[in-house]
Amino acid sequence: MTRKKELLWSVFRFVILTSLGFVIIYPLIYMVSCAFRDKADMTDPTVMWIPHRLTLSVIRETITAMDFWNTLKNTVLLNIGCSLVQVCSCAVTGYGFARFEFRGKNILFGIVVMMILVPPQIISMPLYSLFRHFGFGDFSLNLINNMLTMYLPAITGNGIKSGLMILIFRQFFAGLPRELEDAAYIDGCSPFRTFVQVIVPNALPAFLTVFLFSVVLYWNDYYVSSTFFTNNQTVALMLKNLDTELKINLFDSASVDIDPREQIVWKEAGCLLSITPMLIMYIFLQKHFTEGIERSGITG
Amino acid sequence: MSKKITYRKRRELWGYGFISLWLVGTVVFFLIPLLQSLWWSFNDVEIDTGKSITKWVGLGNYSYAVNTDEKYLVYLKDTLIETLWKTPLILIFSLFTAVILNQKFKGRTLARAVFFLPVIIATGPVYEIISGDIDRTGNIGAGQFSTLFSTDLIGELLQFLGIYGISDDMNGMISQIADNIFGIVWSSGIQILLFLGALQNIPESVRESAILEGADGWVYFWKITFPYVTPFILANLIFTVIDTFTNPMNAVMKKIISMRSDFKFGEASAMAWIYFGIILASVSLATAIIKKSSYYDNK
Repeated sequence: MTRKKELLWSVFRFVILTSLGFVIIYPLIYMVSCAFRDKADMTDPTVMWIPHRLTLSVIRETITAMDFWNTLKNTVLLNIGCSLVQVCSCAVTGYGFARFEFRGKNILFGIVVMMILVPPQIISMPLYSLFRHFGFGDFSLNLINNMLTMYLPAITGNGIKSGLMILIFRQFFAGLPRELEDAAYIDGCSPFRTFVQVIVPNALPAFLTVFLFSVVLYWNDYYVSSTFFTNNQTVALMLKNLDTELKINLFDSASVDIDPREQIVWKEAGCLLSITPMLIMYIFLQKHFTEGIERSGITG
Repeated sequence: MSKKITYRKRRELWGYGFISLWLVGTVVFFLIPLLQSLWWSFNDVEIDTGKSITKWVGLGNYSYAVNTDEKYLVYLKDTLIETLWKTPLILIFSLFTAVILNQKFKGRTLARAVFFLPVIIATGPVYEIISGDIDRTGNIGAGQFSTLFSTDLIGELLQFLGIYGISDDMNGMISQIADNIFGIVWSSGIQILLFLGALQNIPESVRESAILEGADGWVYFWKITFPYVTPFILANLIFTVIDTFTNPMNAVMKKIISMRSDFKFGEASAMAWIYFGIILASVSLATAIIKKSSYYDNK
């Protein structure tokens, strides 16, 4: 390539990346700009990016309306916990599919693929009635609003998008050299101990990738949790129903009319609050996303 | 009792052992609910304190969904058409971006970090709010933002390039694409990630020999990059289709959920199953087409 061509290309690349990057960054800038302005600034035509009336009260009000700290605690308990157990159960299952031959394997793996294809909306109602009367015969428990409704499927590899995660793990384990295990077997190690002591330490990048996806999916989920919880226990649900929560907790009345334009300040503040934990996690782990993809196994 | 189990048999048992937990969960939390929902779609369903009472109505619910309900078919058509034109655009855009992000330049890490950002945001309610706000608020900032990618700009560009007399259909299509840049960029995070991984798997030796043979960027893309990423186009295609189809924000899904809140469980199940049938058919069709034309590295 000639130098002139190269220069032209890097200018072109810069323009393309900046303008597309702007599409991604724009809503975040807007979010920050709205969250710290007074609602009067929304109808002031001279205000675009920099608020005239800087204030922290919107953030404070949103924290109250969302009952943020309690909700955050609940979400972390539900979200991080489920993600962790889901990663473990999917890894064990993926290893079973990657390394062992057994009868019916193809059919069972077909079910994994089905799990990827079936929209959660199809099975959510039967699942609701399952958890509403969980048990056998006359003995049954009402598990609605109980965290077990999320934990039980996660423990057994049936959580949110678990089919995809089993697939990722299977691909990754299938790509590891068999010699790793053979050495352990010769030393008399059982397959399960081999998995825990030899395979898992070699698969940490895959674990981290799946864990990240898992955390993000559970954090952002509102569909599955709105099926099993009648109150707004997670940040995503709270944000989804922020309109109502605002009216009840801020204006003491469910029927008050707020100007939709002015309401944006609280909504954007709510968005900012709910993505901050994920953003912090992303900033710490973005190196893994941006540099280490080839080792993580998702490309199989 | 010392019954000798063969090595093979023992491995098989271990295999079952590894998947047993998943198998139990799948029967209880996936297969049974799935069959139940299929059963419901042929029944009139009433829920009494969480227990379901069913009455067989045959294809009644399906006929309700297709013939009686005014909105269902419209939503279905809209969602299908949207998926049909958005999916190729997302794939092209994400491959293009991945190729750029795979090059060496200053600020590459920052650029990657920005382009993967949607991965952590786009699946949640936050995305719904920010995409809605940009459409609806009509405030100055948003207005300026949308003019940046406005139809006029594209129209002027075409005029400038001397391309006149494009039919109105074509013009409409181009403007729709321009209006949807936001949605496309925001739904491409995972796809870029996957393509980038595929690009990083191209062996250095292949790159060197191509350059030695005098391949320029264009030839390199079509002769080397493209064949290497075709298997990932399939993976990305399936991912994109499923992602758009199962998104709780799409019209069909909203419709199914609203039917459910009206306690029309049978009808809702029928609608969900028709929809699922279409997903299954289109994913298998796409798989068949791409499998035929894809290149696999003989490892």
